[in-house]
Amino acid sequence: MHLDPFELHRPATVEETVALARELAGRFDYLAGGTDLLANYKMHLNAKPHLIALDRLAPLRERRLDRIGAMVRLAELERDGAIRSAYPALAEAVDQVATPLVRASATVGGNLLVDTRCFFFNQSYFWRASLGFCLKADGDRCHVVPQKERCYATFSGDLAPALLVLDAEVEIVGPDGRRRIPLASLYDEGGDGIRRHRLAPGEFLAAVTLPEAARRRSSTYAKLRVRPSFDFPELGVAVACRWAGDRLEHLAVATGGLETYPRRWDDVTAPFVGRRASSELFREVGAAIRPRVRPVHNTFLPPDYRKQMTELFVRRALERLAPTSGAAG
Amino acid sequence: MPGARRIRFGLNGHPVEVTAPPERILLDLLRDDLRLTGSKRGCDLGTCGCCTVLVDGRPTLSCLTLVHLVEGREVMTIEGIASPHELHPVQRAFVEHGATQCGFCTPGFILSAVALLRENPQPTRAQIVRAISGNLCRCTGYTKIVEAIEAASRAGGAG
Amino acid sequence: MSSGPLRSAAPAAMRLLGGRIPYVEGPLKVTGRAEYTDDLARPGMLVGKLLRSPWPHARIRSIDVREARGMPGVFAVLTGDRYPTPFGVLPITRDETALAVEKVRYIGDIVAAVAAQDELTAERALATIRVDAEPLPEYTDPRVGLRPVDEPIHRRGLNGTNIQKEVRQHFGDVDAAFAQAPVTVRVHGSFAGVTHAFTEPLVTLAEATPNGRLTVWSATQVPHYLHRTLSEVLGIPMHRIRVIKPEVGGGFGGKSDPLPHEIVCAALAIESGRPVKMLLDREEVFYTNHGRHPTENDVRIAFDAEGRLLGYDIEAVIDGGAWSSFGTVTTYYNGVLAMGPYRVPNFRYVGHRVYTNKPPSGAMRAHGGTNIRYSVEVAFDEAAEQLGIDPFELRARNALPPNSDTINQFHISSTSFLRCLEAVRERSGWASKFRQLPYGKGIGLGCGFYISGSNSPIHFTPKMPQSTVHLKADMDGGITVHSMQADIGQGSNTLLAAIVAEVLGVDLDRVHVHPVDSDVSPVDLGSYSSRVTFMMGNAARQAAEAMRARLVRAAAELLGAPAERIEVGHERFFWPEDPARSVSFLEALHKAMEAEGALQSSGSFTSKPMGGSFKGARAGTAPAYSFAAYVAEVEVDVETGVYRPTHIYAAFDCGRPLNRLAVEGQIEGSIHMGLGQFMGETMNYRGARLLNPALLDYKIPMPEQMPEIDVLLVGDDDPDGPFGAKEAGEGPLVATLPAMANALYDAVGVRFYRLPVTPDVVWKGIQGRRAAARRWKGN
Ligand SMILES: Cc1cc2nc3c(=O)[nH]c(=O)nc-3n(C[C@H](O)[C@H](O)[C@H](O)COP(=O)(O)OP(=O)(O)OC[C@H]3O[C@@H](n4cnc5c(N)ncnc54)[C@H](O)[C@@H]3O)c2cc1C
Ligand code: SF4
Ligand code: FES
Ligand code: FES
Repeated sequence: MHLDPFELHRPATVEETVALARELAGRFDYLAGGTDLLANYKMHLNAKPHLIALDRLAPLRERRLDRIGAMVRLAELERDGAIRSAYPALAEAVDQVATPLVRASATVGGNLLVDTRCFFFNQSYFWRASLGFCLKADGDRCHVVPQKERCYATFSGDLAPALLVLDAEVEIVGPDGRRRIPLASLYDEGGDGIRRHRLAPGEFLAAVTLPEAARRRSSTYAKLRVRPSFDFPELGVAVACRWAGDRLEHLAVATGGLETYPRRWDDVTAPFVGRRASSELFREVGAAIRPRVRPVHNTFLPPDYRKQMTELFVRRALERLAPTSGAAG
Repeated sequence: MPGARRIRFGLNGHPVEVTAPPERILLDLLRDDLRLTGSKRGCDLGTCGCCTVLVDGRPTLSCLTLVHLVEGREVMTIEGIASPHELHPVQRAFVEHGATQCGFCTPGFILSAVALLRENPQPTRAQIVRAISGNLCRCTGYTKIVEAIEAASRAGGAG
Repeated sequence: MSSGPLRSAAPAAMRLLGGRIPYVEGPLKVTGRAEYTDDLARPGMLVGKLLRSPWPHARIRSIDVREARGMPGVFAVLTGDRYPTPFGVLPITRDETALAVEKVRYIGDIVAAVAAQDELTAERALATIRVDAEPLPEYTDPRVGLRPVDEPIHRRGLNGTNIQKEVRQHFGDVDAAFAQAPVTVRVHGSFAGVTHAFTEPLVTLAEATPNGRLTVWSATQVPHYLHRTLSEVLGIPMHRIRVIKPEVGGGFGGKSDPLPHEIVCAALAIESGRPVKMLLDREEVFYTNHGRHPTENDVRIAFDAEGRLLGYDIEAVIDGGAWSSFGTVTTYYNGVLAMGPYRVPNFRYVGHRVYTNKPPSGAMRAHGGTNIRYSVEVAFDEAAEQLGIDPFELRARNALPPNSDTINQFHISSTSFLRCLEAVRERSGWASKFRQLPYGKGIGLGCGFYISGSNSPIHFTPKMPQSTVHLKADMDGGITVHSMQADIGQGSNTLLAAIVAEVLGVDLDRVHVHPVDSDVSPVDLGSYSSRVTFMMGNAARQAAEAMRARLVRAAAELLGAPAERIEVGHERFFWPEDPARSVSFLEALHKAMEAEGALQSSGSFTSKPMGGSFKGARAGTAPAYSFAAYVAEVEVDVETGVYRPTHIYAAFDCGRPLNRLAVEGQIEGSIHMGLGQFMGETMNYRGARLLNPALLDYKIPMPEQMPEIDVLLVGDDDPDGPFGAKEAGEGPLVATLPAMANALYDAVGVRFYRLPVTPDVVWKGIQGRRAAARRWKGN
C-alpha cells in the first residue's frame, strides 16, 4: 500500500501555520498523529495534495491540568497521574482508545476530529468502486440510508463524550484569529457524516481547556465494543455528576459511537437534577435517553442492540457514580 | 522524487541520513530502502502490530508513521535489540518459552515487551496483557508470550 | 528400504523427545533475522500487481490491455487467455484458472496482471486496463444453488445446479434406529465463514533464468503441490522448476492450495524475463480466502434410555464459494468426522457443497471437522439433560475403544479418550460446578476427534511415500536434513532435528534442517491434514536409524565389539560390557566415512491401504486419530450479553507428545482460533460482498480475552506413530467451540446454534428466555 504523493509542511509557529492554511485553502489537511488520517489516505479516502503537520507547534504540546494541548499524545495523557485523577472519565476514555501502539502517536486533537466511520466508507478504492462510490467519498449516494442528501457515517472517537460531560472548551486558531468555544459547539447538529465539525476553513484545534468545576465532579466513561482493544466504540457513554449528600446537583450525559456526532443530552437530563439517588432515578435517566439516540447499521454490532445498551450503560454509569451512602436500592 | 528531502535520525543507536519524499512511510523505508526486514508488514493499516518499532523508546506503528516526522528522533527496530553476541533477555525468554511459533508477529511483540519492561521492570500480568494488546498473534493464543515476558521480567529483562 | 508404519515403541528413556524443545530457528525469529518471502530481493526485481473483478459473476467480453502494455516501466501484462489450463488442489476437481477465463465468479477474482518497475507504475498500468463484461445473475445462497439455476457458476455443477459435490452415505438402518429411540435430539447449526488470517500476507517471488529454469519462492505450506501445479499450468516440466519455501508466517490451511497469484507471479517472471515479487495486501488475502466454509447442518441423534447411541442422521449444506478447492474432501468430512470419539451404530449423511459467487472456501485448521463437531457436541449436551445423565457419563458410555473399527471402517488404533474425560473432569472440578455455579457463570464440556494425517493423499500414485527424509553427515560432524515438509510455525523443523539427534545420540546443534528447496529436498506432501509429525516423524526416524546402523558398525569395528551389542550414548557409542571404552560420534563417523565418504541415508513413510470399498470410503481414513475432552468456564454479564471464557481445561490425546513446548503451543493456539470463530470472527457477507476484508473488523481475540488454559496431555503411545506420537495441530481446535456453547448454556440457559455468538446474540437469547418466563438457576 502506498500514499499518493503530497507536499508536507511543518510550520514551526502558529503564525506560519495560519499563513500556510490561508495559502493552501481547501487543498490540505492538518496532520497530527496520523493514525486516522494516514490509514484513510492509504485507502485513497479524500486525500489532499498538501499536509500541514502540527508536530512542531510547541504550545500545542503543553499539558496542564486546565489546558491540554491538541498535540498531546494519548500515551502521555495515559501516564499523567494528575490529569487521570482529576478527570476519571477522560482517563477511562483514553485507556480504551485503540491500542497502546496507536496511542503512542494519536493525539487529543486528532481524536476529537477523527473522521466518521462507515462499513461502506472505510474500504479500499477497489472495494468502493466495485459497489459504487458513496456521498462521503467520490460518489453521490448513501448505501446505509438510501438517499442522496445526507451521510450517516458514525462518529467514533472515544474522548469527545468524556470531554463533553466535563464541560470542556476548545481553543481554535485560524486565519481570523483565536477563539474559544464549548466543545459541544464544535460538533454540528445540522451537519452529517461529511460536514462533521464547525471549524471554519483553515482553522485548527490548539487546545482543550477544562474548568475548575470539572475537577469537583465524579465522572466515568464506558465503551461497548467486541474486543477490548483495537475496536472503535460501538457505543460510548460518559457521565459526570455531583451530589450534595444523596441529592443530584449536577448531571451531564454524553454519547458517542451512535450517530454522526457525539451528543450531550442536557435537555433530557435537566429534569432529573435535584432528585435523590435511587435505582429508579438511574433507570429513568437511561430510559429517557434511549429513545433519542438513532444509530444506523454501518458498524459491526446491530443498531437496536446499541440502542438498548445505551440505556443500560447510562444506568450503570450512574450507579457507579452514586454517592457512597444513601444510594439506597 | 518530488519533494524528497534529506532526513537525519537515529537508527538502532547510529545516526543515519536518508533521502525520502514526504509520503514515504517509515516501514517502507526500513524494509525496502534500508533492507532492515525485521519489521514486518502484516496489514499496513495499524491493525496488527507486526510493524512495531520504538520511536524515542515508545512502541509505535511504523506503517502509519511518516519518515519526515521521525527527523531528529531515535528509532529502534528489532535488529537493534540484541547485542551482536547475545540475545536480549526478552528475546531469550521468547525462544525458551515457546513464545514464537511462525515468528511473524514476534518482532512486534518483543519491542512492545522491551518498552514495557524498561518503563516498568516488574509488571503485573494485567499490565503485560495491556502492553501487548496492540499486537496480534494468530499462532500462540498469547499464553506463552505472556509467560515469556513474565520470565524476562523475573530475569531482570529491562536489558 | 521398508516402508509403512514401524510398530516399534519409544525407547525407555529419551534425551530430547518428550521434553520441551525450543524451536531451532527461534533465535532467528526473535532477532528479525528469519527470512520470509517478502524479505527477499533479487537484482532487477519487478513488482507484480493484480486487477480484480468488481463483479460477483460476469461474462468477460473483452479486456483491453494495450495502453498498459505501452506504458514506460511496464514489463509484462497478462490476461487469462495466456495460461488457461485449469488446476485445482484435488486432481478430480480442476476448476480454477490462474486468471479468469470467460467468466469472473466472485468479487476479487483475478482478471489481469502487470509486472512493473514499482508499485505505483503497476497500479497506474492496472488502472488503464478496460474490461468489458456482462453481469450475470449472482448466486450467494447455497440453498438456491441446490436446484437448477439460469447460469450455473461452473459447467461441472450437478445437472444444471450449482452443486459441486453431493455425498450420500448410509450405514446400518437409521430409520429403524430412530423409530425405536426413546430419546432423540436435533440441532440445526449455522456457521458463518471464517478465514485463517495468518499474520504474514500471501506473497510470491519468481525468477525465470536463461538456462531454462524457473525458481519460485512462496509463502506456501505445501511446496510440492505448488511445484506440480506450476508445471501443469505453465507447461514446464517439474525438473526445470525449483520451489523454495522460506520462513512462513502461519498457514492454518490457507497456504495449502496452489493459489492463483503464485502461478500468475511465475508467469509474469517468465513473460518479463525479470524477477517479480507479488505481495498481496490484506484485503486481497481476504479475497483469496480458502477459509472455513459457511455451513448449515441439521444433526439428529438417537439414544436408548440408558444413553447409548443408536444413530446419527446428518445433513449439511456447505457454501463453497467460487471454486472447488478441497471441497470434495470438505463435503465428506462434514459427515464422516462425526464418527468418533463415540461408537455410532447407524449413520446417515447427506452433504452438499454448493458453488456461490463468493471467495472460495477451502481447508482451515480442523478442516471439515469443526462445524459438525459443534452440532454433535451441543446435541450431546441436550441429550444428557433430557436423559438426566451427566454429560461426562453420557460420553463415557459411548466411547470407542482402542483397536476398534467404526461402522464406516475407520480403524481406531489408539484412543485415550476415556482418560481425557477423567483427567479433565477431575482438574476442572466439574462435580462441584456443573449446574451449581450462580446464574451468569457456567461450565461446559465439549469433546473432539480428528485425523492424524490423511491416508488418502493427493499424490501421483498411492504407492509412493507420503514423506521422505534424507540425511547427510560429512567430515565436519554436522548432519544435514532434507525434506519437503513445511514448517509454518508449528515446529516441524525442530521435531525433525530432534528425532535425528535423538536416534543418533548427538546434540541438537549438530543437526541442520535445510530450508525446503525442491532441488535438494525429497518430496513430502507438506503441512495439511495434521500429517507431519506422524508421517515425517516416521520417515525421519527411519532415516536416522539407517544412519545409526552404519555408525554403530564403525564403532563396533573400532571397539572390537559385536555391532549388535553397541549402544548409543550421548555423542558416543559404547559396549555395555566395557563402558569405560567408547568412541565418540565423530570418531565413528570418520571411520564409517572411510568406506563411502559422506554418509547419506533415507527414510520414508507410506501409509498402508485402509478403509472400505464403497464410494468415498477413503475420505477420513487416517493412520491414527486424536481425541480431546475440553471443559470451558465462562462468565456472562447478563445485562449486556458480554461474556468471557475464564478457564479452559484441555485434555488431549496426541499419543506421546514429542515436544511438549510445541504441543502446548498448538493447543493454546487452537483454543484461541476456536474462540475466535465462536466469539466474533465472521466473513461478513452482504450478498456477494465481503463487508470486512480487514483485520479491524475481523474479530481475532486479543490477549485480554484469553482464558487461563490448563493443558492435560494424557495420550497413550500410538502403536504406529513415531515414538508413539499422533497429531496435535488441528484436533485441539474442535472441542473448544462446543465446550463454550455448553458452558454458556450452563450459565444462562440459552442454546446457541448460530456462530459467531457475539454479545448482542447472547443478550437477545437472555431476553428471549426472560420474555418466555422460563427461569434458569432461579433467574
Ligand atoms: C487500529 C486502529 C484502531 C483505532 N481505534 C480507535 C478507538 O478505539 N477509538 C478512537 O477514538 N479512535 C480510534 N482510532 C482512530 C485514531 O487512532 C484516534 O482517534 C486518534 O486519536 C486520532 O488522532 P491522530 O493524532 O492520530 O489524528 P490524525 O490522524 O492525525 O488526524 C485525524 C483527523 O483530525 C484532523 N486533525 C488532527 N489534529 C487536528 C488539529 N489539532 N486541528 C485540526 N484538525 C486536526 C486531521 O486533519 C484528520 O482529519 C483507531 C485507529 C486505528 C488505526
Ligand atoms: S453513511 Fe452513507 S454516505 Fe455516509 S459513508 Fe456510509 S454509505 Fe457513505
Ligand atoms: S503492518 Fe502496521 S499494524 Fe499491521
Ligand atoms: S507466532 Fe505466528 S502470528 Fe504470532
